[in-house]
Amino acid sequence: MEKTVMINCSPKKKWSVSGFIMRCAGLMIRGRKEYLHLRTPDNRKGILQALTDADKAVFVVPLYVDSLPSHVLAFLKEMEAFCRENNLSLKIYVIANNGFIEGRQNEPLMQVMEHFCSRAGLEWCGGIGIGGGVMLNVERIMIPIMFGLMILNMVLRGSQGENILEPVGSFGRTIGVFLLLCCGIIAFGVRLAVHINRGTNAGKRYTRIMLPSFIFILFADIFFTILSVFQGGIFRGWFSRFKPDIGCSIIAAKDH
Amino acid sequence: MKTIIHDLGKEQNERLLAAADQVVCADGRYAPCQGCFKCWTKHPAACELKDALNQSCRILGTSEDLTIITENLYGGYSPEVKNLLDRSIGVSTPMSTYRGGQMHHTLRYGKRNSLRVIVYGDITEGEKNTLQLMAERNAVNWGFREHSVLFCADAEEAGGMA
Repeated sequence: MEKTVMINCSPKKKWSVSGFIMRCAGLMIRGRKEYLHLRTPDNRKGILQALTDADKAVFVVPLYVDSLPSHVLAFLKEMEAFCRENNLSLKIYVIANNGFIEGRQNEPLMQVMEHFCSRAGLEWCGGIGIGGGVMLNVERIMIPIMFGLMILNMVLRGSQGENILEPVGSFGRTIGVFLLLCCGIIAFGVRLAVHINRGTNAGKRYTRIMLPSFIFILFADIFFTILSVFQGGIFRGWFSRFKPDIGCSIIAAKDH
Repeated sequence: MKTIIHDLGKEQNERLLAAADQVVCADGRYAPCQGCFKCWTKHPAACELKDALNQSCRILGTSEDLTIITENLYGGYSPEVKNLLDRSIGVSTPMSTYRGGQMHHTLRYGKRNSLRVIVYGDITEGEKNTLQLMAERNAVNWGFREHSVLFCADAEEAGGMA
């Protein structure tokens, strides 16, 4: 039975979109699976060990400044040497996601992963780049909340002798909208899973949350405003042009 | 302000200062970005992590001309340089806009002059193309009007090109 190692490359401890996508993708992949999290240098050894008897690896990566996060780059350097030393011949797939709406903004990241495969002697098998991935997190939080509200609504309606199925319809419509927003991600995710199961090259595909970009931008602005409120207030110098403190220790300057 | 960010080692700071107002050595000794967004929302333009990269976005933001000297790694920046860049997203604000026909964050420090990337080390043609694309994307992301990428054989030559 073939083994696939799924690697969540988000530095976040919990609530990472990459971790969620990894689990969803894992549901469609056959054979033995190992789910691992690359957060700190301490995780590297365990991941390399898991790769020794694996046939495929799926990197689920957030886009950081137009490329892979620095802790992932450091791991890839180590992995390249490890794969060369141990003569590993893995198939590599990538699921990249970014906070902007355009999935194509993941293109430089995908190219870096392709070059990594060439250097490490591994087989680049492509993947998908997802735009607006953060919306998946919103949906996974909203669905249980709305389910709970539906149950509460049904109980209240039942106690008053009203039609208890009406909230079910309303909940179903909400789920339908959520699925519609994600239809591109689901379709390309299923396509990628088929390629992973067959061990074939999936090529590079880009998709996004199915919202017009100006609406997504509005949602993103609201999201950060709410996040800021939870962190103690809003607009505390959000747009201020702060200068580095005098004597900022990493700067070497002529007048120091 | 002309700034050089490099991964050539601190001993090169003095030499590089001949070509810039300030020099920052990215030595990779710092924690990576945790993706918390607090440099946008909680304490703008300052990282949640209280180490030497705490205000790295302010250094980037106040640089009219930025030169990055990096070793090639798979057509991108070295982990040391990327560590500093990842920790500098406070150079923009949490609000979004369109720039270059795509969604980006609005610029905290406005448009600036030029981004120059000097890449050294073993490199393939494909990796060169990726670096060109990455510098172009970075320039749009950070609000630089111009960008250029130079390739050279080794660290010694890269330091001389600054």
